[in-house]
Amino acid sequence: MARDLSLLIPEIAVLLTAVGALSAEMLRAPRAALAIAVGGLLVATGLSWPLLGTDTTVFGGSFRIDALSVWAKLILLPATALCLLLARVDVRGTAREGTVYSLLCFATLGALALAGAGDAMFLVLGTLLTGLATFALVAYPDSDAATEAAMKFFVFASVTGAIMIFGLSYWFGAAGSTLLAELAGVEDMPLAVILGLIAVVVGLGYKASLVPFHFWAPDAYEGAPVSVAAYLSVVPKVGALFAFAQVVRDLPADSGWAPVMAGLAVVTMTYGYLAALVQDNAVRLLAYSSIAQSGYFLLGIVAVGTSALALPSLIVFAAAYAAMNLGAFAVVAGAGRTLDALAGLGRARPWIGVAMVIFLISLVGIPPLGGFVGKFLLFAAAIDAHYTWLAVVAIANSVLSLAVYLRIVVPMYRRVETAGATFPGQGAWIGVVTWVAFVATLAIGLAAQLILAGPMA
Amino acid sequence: MPPIVSITLFLPLAGALAILAWPKAPARAVHGIGIAAAAGTLIGALAMWGRGVSAAGFAQVEQIEWIPSIGAAYRVGVDGISLPLVLLTAVLFLLAFVYAANLRQQPRAFVALGLLLETAAIGTFTALDAILFYVFFEVSLVSMYFMIAGWGHEERQRAALMFFLYTLLGSLPLLLAILGLYLGSPEPSFDMRAWIADPPLAGAAATWALVAMLITFAVKIPAIPVHTWLPAAHVQAPTVGSVILAGVMLKFGTYGLVRFALQMTPDAFRDAGLIILALGVVSALYGAFAALAQTDLKRLVAYTSINHMGYVIVGVAVAALALDPGVRAIALDGAVLQMVSHGLVTGALFFLVGMLQDRTHTREMGEFGGLLKTVPALGWSFVLAAFASLGLPGLAHFPAEFQVFLATLRVEPVAVIVVLGIAITAGVYLKALRETFLGEDRPRWQGLPDLSLREWLALAPLLALTVAVGVAPSWLLDVIHRTTAALAL
Repeated sequence: MARDLSLLIPEIAVLLTAVGALSAEMLRAPRAALAIAVGGLLVATGLSWPLLGTDTTVFGGSFRIDALSVWAKLILLPATALCLLLARVDVRGTAREGTVYSLLCFATLGALALAGAGDAMFLVLGTLLTGLATFALVAYPDSDAATEAAMKFFVFASVTGAIMIFGLSYWFGAAGSTLLAELAGVEDMPLAVILGLIAVVVGLGYKASLVPFHFWAPDAYEGAPVSVAAYLSVVPKVGALFAFAQVVRDLPADSGWAPVMAGLAVVTMTYGYLAALVQDNAVRLLAYSSIAQSGYFLLGIVAVGTSALALPSLIVFAAAYAAMNLGAFAVVAGAGRTLDALAGLGRARPWIGVAMVIFLISLVGIPPLGGFVGKFLLFAAAIDAHYTWLAVVAIANSVLSLAVYLRIVVPMYRRVETAGATFPGQGAWIGVVTWVAFVATLAIGLAAQLILAGPMA
Repeated sequence: MPPIVSITLFLPLAGALAILAWPKAPARAVHGIGIAAAAGTLIGALAMWGRGVSAAGFAQVEQIEWIPSIGAAYRVGVDGISLPLVLLTAVLFLLAFVYAANLRQQPRAFVALGLLLETAAIGTFTALDAILFYVFFEVSLVSMYFMIAGWGHEERQRAALMFFLYTLLGSLPLLLAILGLYLGSPEPSFDMRAWIADPPLAGAAATWALVAMLITFAVKIPAIPVHTWLPAAHVQAPTVGSVILAGVMLKFGTYGLVRFALQMTPDAFRDAGLIILALGVVSALYGAFAALAQTDLKRLVAYTSINHMGYVIVGVAVAALALDPGVRAIALDGAVLQMVSHGLVTGALFFLVGMLQDRTHTREMGEFGGLLKTVPALGWSFVLAAFASLGLPGLAHFPAEFQVFLATLRVEPVAVIVVLGIAITAGVYLKALRETFLGEDRPRWQGLPDLSLREWLALAPLLALTVAVGVAPSWLLDVIHRTTAALAL
């Protein structure tokens, strides 16, 4: 018991941080709540370092301490800290400011539960915990748009969640246990395994905003504060995608999950970028872009179990994706939500312009940036798993994505008289987040070895 | 021994960072830093030339670990194929910065991008690690995109977008081929030397890798039918952009064709040799005929590039098909020399067209006339460069094309039909000279200034080198031949 708890110290620290931030809010001290939340998450990140290289389970196999779950902490906890700083700009001075910080911590705890899930119950727990916290976050501005977005989000989540729980009952029936590891032994009931898989794809697919379970995402991102949109695009998504990897590694290979994932990858990437091509709102464009990026993650998931590169590629791409996507959202948070608001930004604020260009071409996957290394490894994993055609489709989509992201770059360098007047305007935190993300995007590209040394050692 | 290759490679990048770190730098200082960094790079390239190449593979190799988990490392070095291209790159960039020294529209960004592009270009030619190669290959793309989009002419946004989409679509298949070679190699490594010494793929896998690489390099060269981005990009690019694009970046394609396609999938390349040869012949002839139909002087030069690069493809394909190592060496010598000659001659031609456009604000040949009398120095320079471009003996293209044709005649005599291209380009340039520089001089061009000192400085070295390579090509050929003669395919 003591051993199990000691391995969960980072999660416990996040929980205490969330409670601490909530307590500070009750004392009407929102700045203290922010400080506790950011500080607590950074401490939890530090507490996760020693766990690198561990590969074990706790509580009877129900929660995994492995490369995926440890790296999820090392990636998502700092990412949440950056989102907290962005959120400060959005919610400063509002009535229940501190609850936002607390809810962000709770949602991250849910994402961590997903990323280390070794038991079907953790899938449910993680989905519900992130779900409940993020519904409230989306609805927080109390505007009509936010309420509508939260409502859509909630209804969508309830239905998909119900389907997932229903489907998981088949797995329980077939394996006689909720442990995912027991699924490997199920041989005589393939239909039950497949029904359960479909349900999990629905439940986690919504959270990771895979097409066709993505409909909530653009609306929710648009209605929510930009900081919450940034958060939704990174933390719950990476948690859900890592949960996919945790699930499929125990599935019998002949249950046909890999082609299903490959098909989802193709649909998600292609639809995401095609829809992004016609957006005029920068937040919606980034929402569809983040849908498409989920499709790239699936390349790594397809290769789980067949290629040794699968898990490293997922981890490196998750780190790069968190950095570049948060960076792009931070610039949008500073400049404004429409593409017009970005016009002339590159001329008025050259360094912010350079940073945004770096984020966007990293999202395309151009070297030597983080997005390139991540996608390169994902392609390698897919080819290694004999899914060369999938890598070809992904590469074709990368070209499409260039057209998408240039829709932001081109107006940034247009001559506009009033350009950049608003940036950053509302606070220096946006600048801090932008620079941290900028350095991380470059560093992950140039020093990927620092990450790879962990999972591959 | 100081790491000269790495110093030469990163000196331009250091210059770019210095410019970025000095936000209020006056334009003169910015151009000064650009020229100084490029001059230093040229000195580095000359030092590399002094240290020479070895017949047994790559020389001056420098390496450090980068991503050991997947076998990627920082590895650079040169052989007789890459070293002349490094020198060409260093020369052209220095002259480009000299030419651009009067630019006053956002000089900081322009010079910084140019220096980044120079590092990317030298890196592409010196990289001995496939990931490193790909990194430099793509970085050059991004810098060139911003150069065209930021400082180009009327329709620059469209041309820049077309250039970026086209070449990104083109370069991604190379990534697939690199991954295929990586997964096929016995030890997980991206070391290009290992792939060349012992090609990791065979059979259908090698053929697919070759197809992917041919797509990439055909777009970059550019060859028929994926050449359409080139005239658009050239016409809209600023003069310096055109010089670099034609003089240096097109060579990425032909260099990759030799380094990757020919050396890493040699058997598949030999099997497809006739198809690639046909591609080269068609490209060369198409480029020449298309140039004949142009009225825009810059487009005309752009199309003759397709023609000249077609000869390079012919040379490489003939080298693959040749059974006799001696003939193969002749073909490759010609192909590599042709890359250098094209860089010198087309660089000069694009400078000259840019100088004309700066003065007259038009590129339409029909609007010129009699300029030889108005601007004699510019005119005679153009005559010299045009004669070089059409392959006149004694000038740079002649020894290169002669060797390519000689080897072609020995290996696949039918393909010598490509010689027709020379006759057509002769027509192209004679027509251009007649319309632009001869004939009645027009009153509206009276009083045009002739070449300034800055323009002379940019132009004269290229013309001198054009003559030097044409009259005495052996100083270049000796270096090239050391590698091509030892090449085992």
